[in-house]
Amino acid sequence: MANVYVTDRQAHKQTIEINSGNTLMQAITDAGVADLLALCGGVCSCATCHVYIEDAYLDKLPPKTEDEVALLEVSESYRENSRLACQVRLTAAMDGMQTQIAPEE
Amino acid sequence: MTQPKERDYFTDPTVLMDPYQYFEEMRPRGPICQLETHDCLLVSGFQECVEILRNPTDFSSLNSLASSAFPLPFEPQGDDINQALEANRDKYVGGDLVVTFDDLRHTNVRSLISRMFTPSRLKANEVFMQSYADEMVRGVVEQGGCELVNQIATPYVTMVIADLLGVPPADRALFEEHIAQGQTVGSIENPDSPTDMSTLEFMGGFFYRYLEERAANPGSDLLSELITTQYPDGATPDILELVKLAVFMFAAGQDTSAKLLGNAMRYIVDVPGLQQQLREDRKLIPWMIEEVLRLEGSSKATHRVARRDTMVGEVKIPAGKQVIVALAAANRDPRRWGDDASEFKLKRPGIREHIAFGRGSHTCAGAPLARAEVTTILNCFFDHTSSIKISTEKHGEPGARQYQFEPSFIIRGLDNLYLQLEGH
Repeated sequence: MANVYVTDRQAHKQTIEINSGNTLMQAITDAGVADLLALCGGVCSCATCHVYIEDAYLDKLPPKTEDEVALLEVSESYRENSRLACQVRLTAAMDGMQTQIAPEE
Repeated sequence: MTQPKERDYFTDPTVLMDPYQYFEEMRPRGPICQLETHDCLLVSGFQECVEILRNPTDFSSLNSLASSAFPLPFEPQGDDINQALEANRDKYVGGDLVVTFDDLRHTNVRSLISRMFTPSRLKANEVFMQSYADEMVRGVVEQGGCELVNQIATPYVTMVIADLLGVPPADRALFEEHIAQGQTVGSIENPDSPTDMSTLEFMGGFFYRYLEERAANPGSDLLSELITTQYPDGATPDILELVKLAVFMFAAGQDTSAKLLGNAMRYIVDVPGLQQQLREDRKLIPWMIEEVLRLEGSSKATHRVARRDTMVGEVKIPAGKQVIVALAAANRDPRRWGDDASEFKLKRPGIREHIAFGRGSHTCAGAPLARAEVTTILNCFFDHTSSIKISTEKHGEPGARQYQFEPSFIIRGLDNLYLQLEGH
């Protein structure tokens, strides 16, 4: 069984079981983490599923599309390890990955 | 003294005319309440609606088109009815469409849609959208007015999605005609069969052929992308699944997007000072659209059925219980939006969190397209007019307007909106 770990804005950490094929956004919302608004439902249009990814796992993620980069770069909370959770499709290689919900804007 | 009988949400014409008054009548019974008229729950609280929409583990979307108006086609037994729901999927109207899917099947098909309406894709379509809108608006301004919903909004959104998908121009008018003749979804005028699929079935044969053609000769349109794409696990989608998805994408957004333009125009003209404010600062148009979506979104409600015994807030919901997720009520819930929840207010704090397009894994994927379509054509209207008025002859004076609404318990929108347009 593979897991990822998500830390919300109150620093509460939760373990989430991975179903390969799901997006990280879906996994986090299905786990009931309310901080991740994910308003557009995963169509790369709103940037409300902004998360930070543990550096060691960044190269295991699919590359960012131009749309994702454009949405992230205008975020005040943008960092090098920023991703939109809706654009991260989970695989077993992400087992153990730490993620953190970015601050609200 | 006997209490007045509860009005029937699904069939009462007075609820159709003013669903908001009905929701306010029901709100004192609690954010989740049992209807007297049907064996289902009405969820009017914002927080409760969001909780249900974001919980696909406990709530199935199988009845989202069929609605909660009908009993389950089986006798629910025990605290988990997942198997029985799937075994009866073929008894549900739209049970083979993505909007009703759950679990892996939904994840797979949704993965195909998730790339369809991205900002770059819409940008690529912008030239067509802009030029088509401009041409239509110029024409009606020259005539001095129009009937917005049927003369402009519906053909406009049909042509935009047709262009995006790659539907051949020769077939577009034919589909438009069939959609116009078809029954609305959730018709209050046909309570035994409020939603029928004949229009989608008619178009299915055409889309099968388009997809086969794109498989042989892919282009740059969405149909080409669909036929060449794969599920997350690398499997190739069945072509019939793609036909149903493409037809649904073509048809589903039409009525709702067209209604959004009508609803927005009504507010632009009737909210004092708003038209001038938008003319002077076009950057306010997206804010206006979000507030109209909150107050008068094109979908009044969606539906869910509890897959297993669960809780929402303090309320126990047993497996098999159907729920009306009243998006329009949640979007006016004073607990979320304050005492002025029913008033129009530009730049309302937290406005983007309204649930006019739903929330969670079934959030309307076409929402970015609808926003782009309405923004584009409203800019054209402002470009080519100095004044837009609602016909007093057709709709009465401001403050005493008379409108006809689409006879649906799902869709909220004007059947027609007659405008007088003054050019520069």
